[in-house]
Amino acid sequence: MLSDILQNRYAVTAVILFGVGFTNLMLQQNLLRKVIGFNIMDSAIFLLLASLGYIDGGVAPIVGDRGFDPLYINPIPSGLVLTGIVVSVSITAFSLALIQRIYRRYGTIEMRELLERAKKEDD
Amino acid sequence: MSKDRERARFTRRLTAWVDGEREPKDQTLFVMEQHPPRHVRQSEEEFQRREEDRLRKFFNWYPIAAAVICAVLVAILLTTVMSMPGFGEEDNPINNEVSDRYLEYGAEDTGSENVVTAMIIGYRGFDTLGESCVLFLAVAAVMILLLRDRKNTSELEVRQIERDEAEAMSHEDLILKQVAWVLIPFIFLFAIYVLLNGETSPGGGFSGGTILGAGLILFSAAFGFRRMQVLMNRRRYSAVRTFGLLLYGVLYGLYIFIGANGLPNYLTGMILLIDLAVGLVVACTMYGFYALFSRGEI
Repeated sequence: MLSDILQNRYAVTAVILFGVGFTNLMLQQNLLRKVIGFNIMDSAIFLLLASLGYIDGGVAPIVGDRGFDPLYINPIPSGLVLTGIVVSVSITAFSLALIQRIYRRYGTIEMRELLERAKKEDD
Repeated sequence: MSKDRERARFTRRLTAWVDGEREPKDQTLFVMEQHPPRHVRQSEEEFQRREEDRLRKFFNWYPIAAAVICAVLVAILLTTVMSMPGFGEEDNPINNEVSDRYLEYGAEDTGSENVVTAMIIGYRGFDTLGESCVLFLAVAAVMILLLRDRKNTSELEVRQIERDEAEAMSHEDLILKQVAWVLIPFIFLFAIYVLLNGETSPGGGFSGGTILGAGLILFSAAFGFRRMQVLMNRRRYSAVRTFGLLLYGVLYGLYIFIGANGLPNYLTGMILLIDLAVGLVVACTMYGFYALFSRGEI
């Protein structure tokens, strides 16, 4: 059990981070904190992907003249992390802009108050 | 005469029968059952009270349900992680022939020693085109939401902004300005270095573009919006952004066309040019986010 955890330490850390982020996303009332929770989840995924591509004793996959002699780490997860970061940045910026507009319109970013105010405006 | 009428009636009844219509029943005896109304019509305040009650119940139960869902999710993920192959072992299933192929032939196929760059620009270039489009669209969406103009800004806000600007002009931040004066040339130099060396070292379009955007942000923060506009106003910004995306599309299309038809490739630095296009898009995105969030205009 403990050796399993130690062996997969990065994946376990990623899962814990993911849990922290997801709990934040679900339980926080403040919209900004929800976005922060979302970002923590993103980081957990990047950590998991980056750790999957690592090989013990591997070097960065810049081939050059060294040929196939040294052991290179897997380049594919690195590329996937790059894609993920781009999407995460875009989503974060878009949601922050939406939150700013919500604040300008309703004067609050607390979920509960926001629901009440929006309801009042509906009536 | 009467025979004709009889026949006409018969035909009518026949067609009605064929069409599936029956003769109407005698409905004089049928009386509809009268049910009492199923819902008692609530009064307005009753409805209001019930709605609030429901909302309160929801808010009471929501944290518990959310916590349970989170705990269950983490438990499932942890049990999954326990059965994953070990960290950093060479014969993990993820290190399969695909990565071997990239490592072995990447430099040969694309002319880029950095296999990650070769992969994201060469082999998976369509993916990167999609990423560039995502960034482009993100800036466009933030612009739609936050750009200030005459229609969505009130007099009060305009005066507030002007006051802030006047205050910023009168209190010049000496430390920030001096440090920026020293740092900005080096930041731009480093950005260009990273952009141009994406093929042979860690770096490339995304990282170089981000550094370039950071330099632009520092310039804008230290020397003010007015001076930034000399360097990059809205028209120039849009032009650079669109040019980057179009350049990427055209170059990558050309790259695929040349490669697929086995034409001689005279443009050896194709990956470098594509990287530069990505860098332009990323730098504009970074600076655009900063400008839109801090001032609402570019």
